[in-house]
Amino acid sequence: MTPATLTAPKQLKTTSTATTRPGGYAGNLLRVDLTRRTCRAEPWGPEMMRELLGGVGLGAMILYRETAAKGGKGNVSWDHPDNRLVLATGPLAGLPVWGTGGLTVCTIGAGTNGPTSTQANGFFGTNLKYCGYDAIMVQGQSKDWVYLYINDDVVELRDARSLVGLDTWETQGALYKETGLAGHQLSVYSIGPAGENLVRFAAIQGDYGHVASKNGCGAVMGKKRLKAVAIVKGTKSLRAADPRGVVQAAEEIAHDLRTDASARSLYEYGTLPGVVNLSKMGALPIKNYTTNLTSNVAGADMSVWEAPKLRENFDHRGHQCNACGMHHCHMSVIRHGDQKGKIVDEPEYEGWSGCGWAIGAADRDGVAWLNTQCDRACVDVNEWGWLCGWVMECQEKGYITKEQLGFELKWGDVKGSNRLLQMVSRREGFGNILAEGVKRAAEKLGGPAKECAIYIEKGATPRGHDHRSRWEEMLDTCTSSTATMETGNPVHPTEIGQPARINPFDGEQVAKYVAGLRGRRSFEDSLGICIFTSRTRLEYICRALSAATGWAFTVDDALRFGKRTAAINRATALRCGHTGAMEYPSTRYGSTPVDGPAKGQAIRAQWEKMLDTWYAEVGFDRKTGKPLPKTLKELGLEWLARDLWGKKA
Amino acid sequence: MSVLRLHPQKCTGCLRCELACSYMQTGEFQPAKSVIRVSPFEGHTSYAPYTCTQCAEGWCMTACPVGAITINAVGAKDVLDDKCVGCKLCTIACPYGTMFYDPGTRKAFKCNLCGGAPACAEACPTAAITYEDVATADWLGDFAVERTARVLAEAR
Amino acid sequence: MAARHLIIGGGTAGMNAIRTIREEESEKSSITLVSAERPYSRMVLPYYLDRSIAESHVFTATARVLADWGVTAHLGKRVTALDTAANTCTLDDGTAIPYDDCLIATGSSAVRAPVPGADLPGVHSFWTLDEARGVIAQIQPGSHVVMVGAGFIAFTILNSILSLGAKLTIVEIAPRILPRMIDDTGAALVQTWLKDHGVTVRTGAKVARIEDAKGKKRLKFASGDLTCDVVIMATGIKTNLEWLKGSAVKVNQGIVVDDYLRSSVPNVYAGGDVAEGRDLISQKPAVHAIEPTAQEHGRVVGANMAGKNVRYRGSLIINIVEVCHLDVASFGAWDDAGAEAASGVKADRPAYRKLLWRGDRLTGAIILGRSGDIWTVNDVGMLKGLVQSGVSLGRWKEYLKKNPFDVKPAFIASKTTSTLLPETVLGRPSKAPGETPVAV
Repeated sequence: MTPATLTAPKQLKTTSTATTRPGGYAGNLLRVDLTRRTCRAEPWGPEMMRELLGGVGLGAMILYRETAAKGGKGNVSWDHPDNRLVLATGPLAGLPVWGTGGLTVCTIGAGTNGPTSTQANGFFGTNLKYCGYDAIMVQGQSKDWVYLYINDDVVELRDARSLVGLDTWETQGALYKETGLAGHQLSVYSIGPAGENLVRFAAIQGDYGHVASKNGCGAVMGKKRLKAVAIVKGTKSLRAADPRGVVQAAEEIAHDLRTDASARSLYEYGTLPGVVNLSKMGALPIKNYTTNLTSNVAGADMSVWEAPKLRENFDHRGHQCNACGMHHCHMSVIRHGDQKGKIVDEPEYEGWSGCGWAIGAADRDGVAWLNTQCDRACVDVNEWGWLCGWVMECQEKGYITKEQLGFELKWGDVKGSNRLLQMVSRREGFGNILAEGVKRAAEKLGGPAKECAIYIEKGATPRGHDHRSRWEEMLDTCTSSTATMETGNPVHPTEIGQPARINPFDGEQVAKYVAGLRGRRSFEDSLGICIFTSRTRLEYICRALSAATGWAFTVDDALRFGKRTAAINRATALRCGHTGAMEYPSTRYGSTPVDGPAKGQAIRAQWEKMLDTWYAEVGFDRKTGKPLPKTLKELGLEWLARDLWGKKA
Repeated sequence: MSVLRLHPQKCTGCLRCELACSYMQTGEFQPAKSVIRVSPFEGHTSYAPYTCTQCAEGWCMTACPVGAITINAVGAKDVLDDKCVGCKLCTIACPYGTMFYDPGTRKAFKCNLCGGAPACAEACPTAAITYEDVATADWLGDFAVERTARVLAEAR
Repeated sequence: MAARHLIIGGGTAGMNAIRTIREEESEKSSITLVSAERPYSRMVLPYYLDRSIAESHVFTATARVLADWGVTAHLGKRVTALDTAANTCTLDDGTAIPYDDCLIATGSSAVRAPVPGADLPGVHSFWTLDEARGVIAQIQPGSHVVMVGAGFIAFTILNSILSLGAKLTIVEIAPRILPRMIDDTGAALVQTWLKDHGVTVRTGAKVARIEDAKGKKRLKFASGDLTCDVVIMATGIKTNLEWLKGSAVKVNQGIVVDDYLRSSVPNVYAGGDVAEGRDLISQKPAVHAIEPTAQEHGRVVGANMAGKNVRYRGSLIINIVEVCHLDVASFGAWDDAGAEAASGVKADRPAYRKLLWRGDRLTGAIILGRSGDIWTVNDVGMLKGLVQSGVSLGRWKEYLKKNPFDVKPAFIASKTTSTLLPETVLGRPSKAPGETPVAV
């Protein structure tokens, strides 16, 4: 197999952009065509950078511009060669602000067959930027399995046939060996068997434990026969307009994260405190939403789930992302039980919930192991929880028989769950049906089984919470154009004129809140920074961005930018056939808790009203789902108004 | 004199020291130009920074054919750019692998303790690098032995 | 009466000896330097050739500095005889210099292959400053330069010639390049790299004769002649020891020295290219005509002349050349046929490692990688450290055999740093170049 070669940008062009290039940017987008086997650097200019920033800002625009179905209406589907897989960083990636190894994946995903924005961290963004690229745009489909190798100006599609069948950790190990590199000198994002076999909720996993998990982006990679992206830590330099200013802003953010009451526990323990905290609100998903009482899980002793105890249960070792001072990501060595001695990635809260509570498992060692098994297979741990929990409940209730499944799978059985995971990621037996994801599998089974399944009508599944007591998140998840929460949780909401607190079970207040917080997350996800390290005042983030780029970027600019990005994603989603009718939770997802702190709180009773309010607040048309011309014009998206409304605009 | 004391058990592999070092030394963020380098141990579970020990012999300094490496005010071996011709002899004389060469400037470069305020120590979020008045030592040896046992066992 | 030290040769060994005498002595001595040339560093001549430094940059000691150091210098003079019974040396101008002890550090000279026409004007060597001046005057942008010989010396000026805008052809009689610095695999990678960078290499090509051809030079071969503007003969060097014939100083390949660098005549020391001292790896006597050996020899001799009793642990062969931004380095017994060896190639980078062991000690290494390449640079030094320290690699040996590119964990976990930190050449911390005591 001859390596595809990189066509360097014309010398003249790079020189001219280099002089005007805003700080923080590498200056090139890397376009990889798997069908033609070409890799080409495309310089991009300051205006485009200012308009799209990077991350989801850039990705949303690429999807909108490049994935329309040729010669007709609609959009290409996730498995079409013309689908794009955008792997984007942002202007802060590679800079000394905490957590700036960021990767945002934008694609038409296999879960909803609509747009996606899903993030991971590690060193992808860092290594890519130091090679001279701000983002990779993958298109086409390869005939044989390949991986993309990037080392400064050497960009090649290399034979990956020997990597097929390896899980993501094995893939990274094999590529270390092949390149003779180690540690963060080589950042590898890859797919495991689940991606290769087009599992609808396959993720892209990288750098041992970082996962871009949503909407089957791993299946897109699998369809393109792109096994991995391996990026050598490049040798190029990143300039900042005001480097001292970047360092100072980074210090300010760090100080805030270390000391602010709302961020401090995250700083110390990452997302681990979520388990106990959410259980007290009824937002820890337990046994497929059948209960909200931890006592209903065999062997559950909440005292050992306090964050410090949870961490100390393992031989834990810091494993941070680029330039990050959070005590968040860790590697753990399992100390007890069957898997003693195994190295795992310390689960995030969502790992504890998806591979633990959602499937009725409270054995911390087993859960930690299963969580890494998911990462290695490249399966979204959230959807795994909903899928496996559903199968467990269905077996308990007799909707899925032992014969159908091939074995008995009871609540809390992590080894059985792993067995199922291997079947699903290889599409073996009943695993082939389950590989289609919760929604499609539930619809296939139908009847009472379908009533137990947790999903959104668009085809996605929620993040790892029980949203029946987190209504903002359910509304956000269902109305999102990116297959997962698009607006996110409130972070210093008063900074952007929103109340500090609302009544969580008042549908109207909830809908106004979700609409009011809109924009921030899409902005954060465009910067190449982690959402946990941006859990500070937006003003500080803007200060870091301004110091990096030389722009005077304000909080208002940030929100406006975020809303604009969300509007563009909405336009793509509409073109993909997403309609208002899909913005509903499944029966179980939208059900009413039968016990626990949120017992009796019925979101479905308020759902229509919540949608009405949300639509009115964000300025979208309730009937068509389209952003109203006025809304678009206010965001400076006249061109999109014309696209969506024609002459009426 | 004060030296960089490395506390490998505290390192999380975030590479912030490399960024800070390159910024201090070159004015731009380019970890490839950092003279402190973080290495992985035990595959990917453990990391440790590694940099010049400011050793007593100063192999780089004694090897330099033009006297371009000297001892600066804080006791660090330091390259004098106007004297260095870029012959690379220091890079093979240093037995620790902590002399570097920049093809762009055609000069050797190394840790000069930032003239007494090392940027890496300041940037490290976990105090895995401290600047202390202690004798230089093999800070990483014992840690590396422990954190490579598994890799070695697997390599058998 | 103060001791009278005589230093014969103003190269690296001689100048390091002088500085070390001044650093170490407890009582001011008299130092006399005899040198055929003004003291300069041969290592930096390639940078003079490519005009990145001025000629003044090459000198290691000016008259002023020599005066500061209290050195009586006889520059431009050669020693013609050494009378070890009378402790006197005679210069080519008849001057007789008595001494209490002396260092012979007269270095080497370039030799040209015995080819008819090799002595024509326009056929150069590149070894001394004078020869460098001759070459620099001849090379213009667009000049075609033919280098006869593809050894280490030739390669040190390869980049310079190219950076002057000249076209370069390398002609080598042997079937491969860099025969005494790297193995066949490494040489093949370098040869490919050179071709990719526009340098023509003709191996196995014997020059029959060199002729004048209308202001140019023509090199005649069995087939295929070459016409060029400049010919540089880089066909070898020989030690400058003819003048010592008939003295009591025992000469084998070089002057045989003990671990204190004393020759068979106890108050006569030898250092650098002319000394046959202990090789660190083989522990056998060897001539190492390389800069680092000259430097260490000079310092050890200086200390011992100043009354210290410094035992020299032996010298390590280390070499590095840069070939169009490709670093090529080798350490120790890289060509030891009796050693256990392992290697790895990454042709695309390109990168190459060869590691050699005796028992569980690394005794030799070859490393190729791009200059400034972030993972090569660390390893270059670490491989030197492993070879130099001779640490027991234990189980890391098997690991390195399988992972020749993953040197760092082996280096650190073998506690090489612990072994190296107490090591100094003179048994004390080195002084900075500027710290030599002024002796006036």
